[in-house]
Amino acid sequence: MLKRSQIDTNNYLIKQLPKATAFLNEKLEVVYASDLWVKDFEFTNGKVIGQKISDLLKHISGDLQKDFKECLKGKIGSRIKECYPDKDNPKNWTEWINIPWYDEKENIIGIIVQTEVITKKINNDSNIERLQLLLQEKSSNANIGSWQYDADLNSLWWCDMTKQIHEIDANFIPKIETCFDFYKEGHSKNTISMAFFEASEKGLPWKEKLQIVTEKGNEKWIVTTGKPIYKDDKCIGLVGTFRDINEQVLTNKKTKENELLLRTLFDSLPLNVFVKDLDSRKILVNKAELNFLGLKNESEALGKTDFDFLNKKNALIGREEDIRVMENGIPMLKKETTNIKKDGTITSFLTSKIPLKAASGEITGLVGINLDISDIKNKEKELKNLIDVTSLQNKKLVNFAHIVSHNLRSHTANFSMLLEFLVSEKDEKEKENLVKMLVKASDHLLETMNNLNEVVVINTNVNLKKKNISLNKKIKSVEKNLSVFFKNKNAKIINTINDDVKINVIPAYLDSILMNLFTNAIMYKSPDRDPIITLGTTNENGYKILSINDNGLGIDLKKYGDKLFGMYKTFHDNADAKGIGLFLTKNQIEAMGGKITASSEVGKGTTFNLYFNEKN
Amino acid sequence: MRKINSIFIIDDDPITVFGIRKMLDTNVEFKTISTYGNGKLAIDGIKKVLNETKVIPEVIFLDINMPIMDGWQFLEEFIVLPIEEKVRINIVTSSIDPADYENFKHYNNKSHHLITFNTKPIKSTEIAAITIPAE
Repeated sequence: MLKRSQIDTNNYLIKQLPKATAFLNEKLEVVYASDLWVKDFEFTNGKVIGQKISDLLKHISGDLQKDFKECLKGKIGSRIKECYPDKDNPKNWTEWINIPWYDEKENIIGIIVQTEVITKKINNDSNIERLQLLLQEKSSNANIGSWQYDADLNSLWWCDMTKQIHEIDANFIPKIETCFDFYKEGHSKNTISMAFFEASEKGLPWKEKLQIVTEKGNEKWIVTTGKPIYKDDKCIGLVGTFRDINEQVLTNKKTKENELLLRTLFDSLPLNVFVKDLDSRKILVNKAELNFLGLKNESEALGKTDFDFLNKKNALIGREEDIRVMENGIPMLKKETTNIKKDGTITSFLTSKIPLKAASGEITGLVGINLDISDIKNKEKELKNLIDVTSLQNKKLVNFAHIVSHNLRSHTANFSMLLEFLVSEKDEKEKENLVKMLVKASDHLLETMNNLNEVVVINTNVNLKKKNISLNKKIKSVEKNLSVFFKNKNAKIINTINDDVKINVIPAYLDSILMNLFTNAIMYKSPDRDPIITLGTTNENGYKILSINDNGLGIDLKKYGDKLFGMYKTFHDNADAKGIGLFLTKNQIEAMGGKITASSEVGKGTTFNLYFNEKN
Repeated sequence: MRKINSIFIIDDDPITVFGIRKMLDTNVEFKTISTYGNGKLAIDGIKKVLNETKVIPEVIFLDINMPIMDGWQFLEEFIVLPIEEKVRINIVTSSIDPADYENFKHYNNKSHHLITFNTKPIKSTEIAAITIPAE
């Protein structure tokens, strides 16, 4: 009974043990078990005592079985981790410690087992391991290292990556006294020293982009961060990261340099370059284009269209071109365009428009390039003018050659004919007659020579300089010279020209021209009325135009128009007409860089318009 | 050689008119010679003849450069006159302008009359040959 009570007492005591404990006999049957043990293994109370451990636990590892055997032989077992499933968790872990159970006589009567559920701990451990791996992986991929400083021990720790960034051996042991020597002298070293001081003394964290010189002597850009760690309000150290950003900095720098280079190129191009979006709004313009638009800052041009700068018709044409290029995706190359700005200035461009495609291939706008060809265009115009003048001169020269040859030939033909007659003539009286005719022919030849000479002088005399003279003064002096002639014919001049009108002429030529035209107007007067000459001036395209209108016979220009200014052309039955006046007039006005035109109506009168070139 | 009824000389130069006339006097037999100072006077003369006596000239000596109406303008009007007979028209000019020769060819093709191109001076030895009336 006593024994029984002893067992009950033991049982009662063991039940309350704070650790999960069980007593097994030599047959590995449970003799005592703490409540915690029963609970940990989720055994049903009362069904534990006397049960074999192998029956209670569905699975016992070989290690544990071996340990039980060793234990029964008197050996203190080691810690054994056992895994068993339960209803909540497919992987439950317990740690077993087995020791031999001795009686009072030091006989081994069984095994005392102590177990602890370690599932949580195991899971935690593997989590930490995983996190560490992850961190390592991350730090090596991102080139981020870490470091720690323990203030109490005054010890500095660098992770492998931090060492790698410093290009230093993995066994290197950093020291707080020397670690700043890796920083580049000057700004970098000063900044990190200051940051470290501020962090340790005032608790301020830092993040700085600085340069180091590695063990191998390479300069590198890094980002270092540091943060104090506190324990009970006392700074016990610092932790931080260390990141290699050299490549990034260099790439950024390179990108910036490239951008600058591109911009410089873009702005220095002697071409107007711009980028437009789908609505033809400018989204990028270079200096040359800004200058053309008369703007100072790019921002003034951005978002605007041709309609803001060019006249409407021009802008419409431009917009149509834009749409065509952007819809078809076919560039428009080197098209000659004339651009009239709102202020009226005209610029000729060789325009190219090239569709702008996004990476996806979709057209997002266009690039425009304008080459200013105004100078070339002007040169072309000048050249054309020069060619026109030259071909006109040539035509005049050929014409003159024909005039000369024709007039000289007609006289020499007469000489030849008369001389032939004279040689074979017997009759003295007739001979005398022929000689008289020869003299007449000779006189005509001389006169012709004089006329032709006059024309040559007009066309070749470069010594006569143009002068700016008062037109009315000249008119009055010519009128005075002709006053007797005017009076006889009852002629008068109606002058509507202002006294301040001046013209740029060779005075002698103007004299001769006015004399000729006034005389003509009176000589070919209408028999029905007294001659009236009306004078007036107008301006047109750099010419001052003097118009001389008469109320005379008029002339059928359909019939005679092309001969009006020809040499020895006469059109009226007038014995005094020599057909030289208008021919000389035309030569004189052309020699002054001007021209002459005529309009006439038979029976009503004639108007001559004299174009005086104001420029040269 | 048969006697020519009527010859016209159309030229504004009195010496040329004198010369041709003198050569015709000695080399050719004719009934009448009429001279005109320009094309206008000549065409008026021919129109008058057509209306009245119907004796149209068989041979015409025609100058090109004349005032008021030149040789070409005369031809322009002459070839459209209702003249069935083939008239010989001798253009006599001192011009060496190729344009004048082109003009001559143009009228020669355009008209049923016989038109010839002669350069001044005309020799006495040539006058008879160019005064043979056209068939």
